Amino acid sequence: MRRDLRGALLLLLTAAVQSSSMSAPGKPVLLSCRSPEKETFTCWWEPGSDGGLPTTHHLYYERERLEGTYECPDYLSAGRNSCFFDKNHTSIWVDYYLTVMASNALGNATSDPFKMDVMEIVKPDAPENVTLRVEEREASPCLHVRWMPPSNTDTKSGWVTIKYELRVKKDNSNNWKEYTSGTQTHFSLYSVSPGGVYTVQVRCLLDHGEWSEWSNTTFVKISNYLQNERPLSMLISILSAILFIMAGLILIAKRKSVKQWVLPPVPGPKIRGINSQLLQSGGSDDVGNVLIIKQSFPPIYFVWEDQMEDYLIVTENEDWLSSNSQKRKKSLIPACFHFDSEIHSKESPCHKNDWEKDEEISQVDNNNKPFTNTGYVDFQRHVENVDVKHVDYSRVKEVKSDNILFLEKEKVQSSGYIHFQRQEGIPEDYSRVKEVESDNLVVLQKQNAADLSCKDEGNHYTDCALHKPRKPHVCTELSDSGYVDTIPAPPLM
Amino acid sequence: MPGTIRSVSLVWVVLLVCLSSRRTSVGAAPICTNGQVGCHVLSLDNLFDRVIQHSARMHGISSDLHSEFEQYFLPSKNQIGRVGRICHTSTIITPNGKENAQRMAREQLTEVILKLLIAWRDPLWHFHQSMAHHHDFNNFSSNKALEMNDMVHELRQGVEKVAEKMQVLGIISNSVTSLASPEVLLPSDSADWRLMKDYDLLYCFRRDSNKVQNYLKILKCRIVPDHGC
Repeated sequence: MRRDLRGALLLLLTAAVQSSSMSAPGKPVLLSCRSPEKETFTCWWEPGSDGGLPTTHHLYYERERLEGTYECPDYLSAGRNSCFFDKNHTSIWVDYYLTVMASNALGNATSDPFKMDVMEIVKPDAPENVTLRVEEREASPCLHVRWMPPSNTDTKSGWVTIKYELRVKKDNSNNWKEYTSGTQTHFSLYSVSPGGVYTVQVRCLLDHGEWSEWSNTTFVKISNYLQNERPLSMLISILSAILFIMAGLILIAKRKSVKQWVLPPVPGPKIRGINSQLLQSGGSDDVGNVLIIKQSFPPIYFVWEDQMEDYLIVTENEDWLSSNSQKRKKSLIPACFHFDSEIHSKESPCHKNDWEKDEEISQVDNNNKPFTNTGYVDFQRHVENVDVKHVDYSRVKEVKSDNILFLEKEKVQSSGYIHFQRQEGIPEDYSRVKEVESDNLVVLQKQNAADLSCKDEGNHYTDCALHKPRKPHVCTELSDSGYVDTIPAPPLM
Repeated sequence: MPGTIRSVSLVWVVLLVCLSSRRTSVGAAPICTNGQVGCHVLSLDNLFDRVIQHSARMHGISSDLHSEFEQYFLPSKNQIGRVGRICHTSTIITPNGKENAQRMAREQLTEVILKLLIAWRDPLWHFHQSMAHHHDFNNFSSNKALEMNDMVHELRQGVEKVAEKMQVLGIISNSVTSLASPEVLLPSDSADWRLMKDYDLLYCFRRDSNKVQNYLKILKCRIVPDHGC
């Protein structure tokens, strides 16, 4: 019984105690302080438990360079559990030490001290009055954004410098695109496309402080006016397509004249001695020979054996002699010089009187080479225009002593004689045939004394040519244009 | 007839000369008077902009360094009472708010700025030296310390130039004594900065650089208010 009573009493007491748990208040916590314009600031705290009793909070502060402890000047302006320091009570660049004390009937509780400097807690309000304006241009629309700085900041005196940032998003996506605006209170966006809803927000920063909150969202819809323009652009494209087609048709119709105008015919080359008519008519063998000789390829020897030989006749026309000998001589000199300097191991063509082997023919071809610098030797055979007297030649088989030549008997023509150049001032290198004995022996006239020296050294006249110092060989004739024509040689004897 | 033409042309020439001279004479007394080559005249607002930008950058660097120090050393932020630092520049009387700064005379404000800059010349140099010898810090930090040191030097020269220009233009009187002998400005009873620790030095400098920046801005908008205030 007593036990029950005691238990019940205990229960009652505990219940009573619990229901009215009066105690000293819990420790409050100072949360943060903030200055929106670097001239005033506000601090907030969080109260602890109140201990069941009405609790009051007081904020006390101490300041660097200021003696004493002071209490918060304004508990009301900034709301509950806050303290507002107005301009008179705000000093920048000095440390504040803040403490909050919660007190009730049973006791006090003091928060930890909170040290701050106004310089460090600057965070402005968001920019105000954000307006959007759409400018519709032909190519693409653009969006002009305008806003006002937060009303409590003083920008006129230069005390603070405000910098802005804005962000844009299209429709309902979560991707914001950010732009910095510097100190301007306006911004233009050009990357907007019609037919969308754009949302814009702006925030600002004071000097080196914190960024403000983003402003309220402002949005605008850009109308889709591109459809109106489509017919016009289509019309333009159709017209231009028609024009192009017409131009193309005209060009096709007149393609021949266009081709004439664009690519005028180019005159083809004319090779002297080759008659294009002949080529076309197809006298292939003769023409082939002609072509072969003209090239600088090594000669096709077998061709020669089948045919009658054509020899290089290099002579001087008597008609030409009379006209301008001086000039001719000058023009003749370089060709001959050329030969002598290059072909010293072989016979110079200047006094070609030794037709021994095919080697000579190759010589002819080789000789053609230097010739080509100054002119070329033209072979003409069976050409209607030029009256070439057919001349028969014999091959020299052997030279005996200094004035006897043996000719080959296989010659087609029976009459064997050797052709020499005959002109007025016959150079010393040529020999006159004195006498022809039988059909393969030729006796040459002996040279005069001046040439004996060269004769002694050898039988071949090439040696003479070698030792003779640069005497001009009047052996080739060069017309003024540099071409050498074969001239029908007058038969000797 | 030729006489009238001549007189008319003369009048035109005179007019043109007058107009051009009037335009150039507004607000720009030449700094380089010796006709040096490549020396172009800067207007006062231009000079102000430059020194303000310079001071902003200087403050930015000091803030960065200060936060880096906090990471390394984590000093107890909430020291009770006024155990905290005493900066060696505390003896220099500086306006502690906007109104006070605006109320201060231009010459005084200019002098305050110069005093602050001069007072930090030596401490920053030693700070940089001690940073260079500390192997705890990376090169980035020690480069910043060197940059800070250079900037104080340059900024002081810039502000002196501005003051000179203002005096030439007659905006302020010639009572700015700092230009004459800088060392006179340091009060004899200032706390010895050598006793301060590096972290405290940084803290004080961060504060003083912010002061310099703000004072310069106030001064600029008072003297040349039209340009970007």
